[in-house]
Amino acid sequence: MKLQIADYLIIIVYFLFVIGVGVIIKKRIKSSNDFLTSNRSIPLWITSLAFISANLGAQEVLGMVASGAKYGIMTVHFYWVGAIFAMVFLGVFMMPFYYGSRARSVPEYLSLRFDEKTRGLNAITFAVMTVFSSGISLFALAKLLEVILKWDFDVSIWIAAGIVMIYTFLGGLTSAVYNEVLQFFLIVLGLSPLVIVALQDAGGWENIKAQLQPEMTHAWKYMGSADDNPMGLHFMSLIFGLGFVMSFGYWCTDFLVVQRAMIARNMNAAQRTPILAAIPKMFMPIIVVLPGIIAIALMQPALASKGFTIPQDGHGGLDYTMTLPSLISHYYPSGLLGVGITALIASFMSGMAGNVTAFNSVFTFDIYQSYFVKNKTDRHYLRVGKLVTIFGILFSIGTAYIAKSFNNINDFLQLVFSFVNGPLFATFLLGMFWKRTTGHGAFWGLIAGTAAAALTHGLTVAEGKGGWITELYTIRSGMGQAFIVASVSWVANFFTTIFVSLATKPKPESELKGLVYSLTDKPSYHQDKWYLKVVPLGIILIILTLLLNFLFF
Amino acid sequence: MYKKLNELSFVIGLFFTLVSLILLGDYLLSPSSQKPINLYTGIGLLIFGVFMILVKSSENHGDAAD
Repeated sequence: MKLQIADYLIIIVYFLFVIGVGVIIKKRIKSSNDFLTSNRSIPLWITSLAFISANLGAQEVLGMVASGAKYGIMTVHFYWVGAIFAMVFLGVFMMPFYYGSRARSVPEYLSLRFDEKTRGLNAITFAVMTVFSSGISLFALAKLLEVILKWDFDVSIWIAAGIVMIYTFLGGLTSAVYNEVLQFFLIVLGLSPLVIVALQDAGGWENIKAQLQPEMTHAWKYMGSADDNPMGLHFMSLIFGLGFVMSFGYWCTDFLVVQRAMIARNMNAAQRTPILAAIPKMFMPIIVVLPGIIAIALMQPALASKGFTIPQDGHGGLDYTMTLPSLISHYYPSGLLGVGITALIASFMSGMAGNVTAFNSVFTFDIYQSYFVKNKTDRHYLRVGKLVTIFGILFSIGTAYIAKSFNNINDFLQLVFSFVNGPLFATFLLGMFWKRTTGHGAFWGLIAGTAAAALTHGLTVAEGKGGWITELYTIRSGMGQAFIVASVSWVANFFTTIFVSLATKPKPESELKGLVYSLTDKPSYHQDKWYLKVVPLGIILIILTLLLNFLFF
Repeated sequence: MYKKLNELSFVIGLFFTLVSLILLGDYLLSPSSQKPINLYTGIGLLIFGVFMILVKSSENHGDAAD
């Protein structure tokens, strides 16, 4: 793949624009709240698109296309079983607590609802995870550019990190969020022509269905038995593991995405943020799953004349991660190639900036201000927030080099993330809907959930991973193993939290108002039109999602 | 003009208009002009870019904060 002048021009224009956004936003930054929380001033259409874009990092984009190629249409379950239901739940039930409590972050909500040790545990694990995530994103970007464009690894890392640093340092969260919206359009519009030409080249959806094994093009039909589908999962494991534990755990509790709704202008806008974001999310499989399925169809004997291949990995199998870059290289001429490469760069930078801005909010408010330097002037915390942005980027660069040195560090870190994130939703579910839940219960529930996740991974093996205690049970796919690990950790957290809470003293009800469902006045929007109300919107989305599942059954 | 730069929809529109002009320029200046995909995508991005430039942004007159 070789870029021409037009391609370089597009990349340069993109870099100039993202930095320009930072320069313009800088004038609005007067306080630490402006820098770290956007002072709750962002319009609904921007928070909604930023909400979905924060999850459109390249690991997701490349990963979903790769999963589409590997597992077929079952990958849509991440959207039509996982994301949509969780986003509606967040908007209808959980945002009133996050937004209404005036907490500036998810760990701060935990402090208000439970206690400082639960907040500290969540803040520290989240801060470490985000900085590592950001570094891995940076490593993946530099590696990709090195492989497909032969760009120098070090130069790619420092340029990409430098640009993210400039615009997040200048404009803080607002700058990151504004650029996420630009990046969202770039990813969608930059990859749409690829889907159209590749689909046409493959002879349309009906021909793809004719070329592939039926389990690659049916979302549910082959899920009655774990042996019949490429993920090796029974539908109950999928619904509980992905649909409930992992998706609700991510979309409802991960500060990286929840932060985008918390900066909306008012409660109604905060509640509608994830619900409106669910509309484009519902159709994202067209951009990020369908290309993977098309790619596999193009490699079938009947379509061999098209000349498309996915490169092989070092073990003789297909390197699915390279599916999207291979499609871009195959179908895009110079000019559009620049758009495609810029879309990939944008998704990496979006993922990195999202992590860095979430990291600096949590570090400044939940670690530095809470445990180290209290009661200083706002100007002091603004300066700290800016410094933390620089250090966050430098840590990310360090992590990227660590990832380069250790082949398995990505897998290891993803595993640790799932250990920590998997059980978290049980803590929030009990905390928000059962007023008897105590701080001790929440804390030990999280510890037990994480320990149970590690234990399950140590006793199961899938695709050569796990089983580091003993290989007690074999699971067909790594993804299936992740769902089962998350499910066990959630159950362990749920019951530990209940048992410890029943044995310890709860907070008085007067301290839980606005933090627990039964003790909170519900926001009502009777005066609004139906399309401004979250419940009717949520019901429509759920019906549409069920229809999509039925359509591709 | 500078005031408009504070509106994200205008900035996004401007970006995609510029990208579309690069694509269309590349199509017209290529010796063989065998890149119809650049032409179609360029026109599509141009329409989107102009729409975003003209659309009335709610950024400065949206809902008031609680």
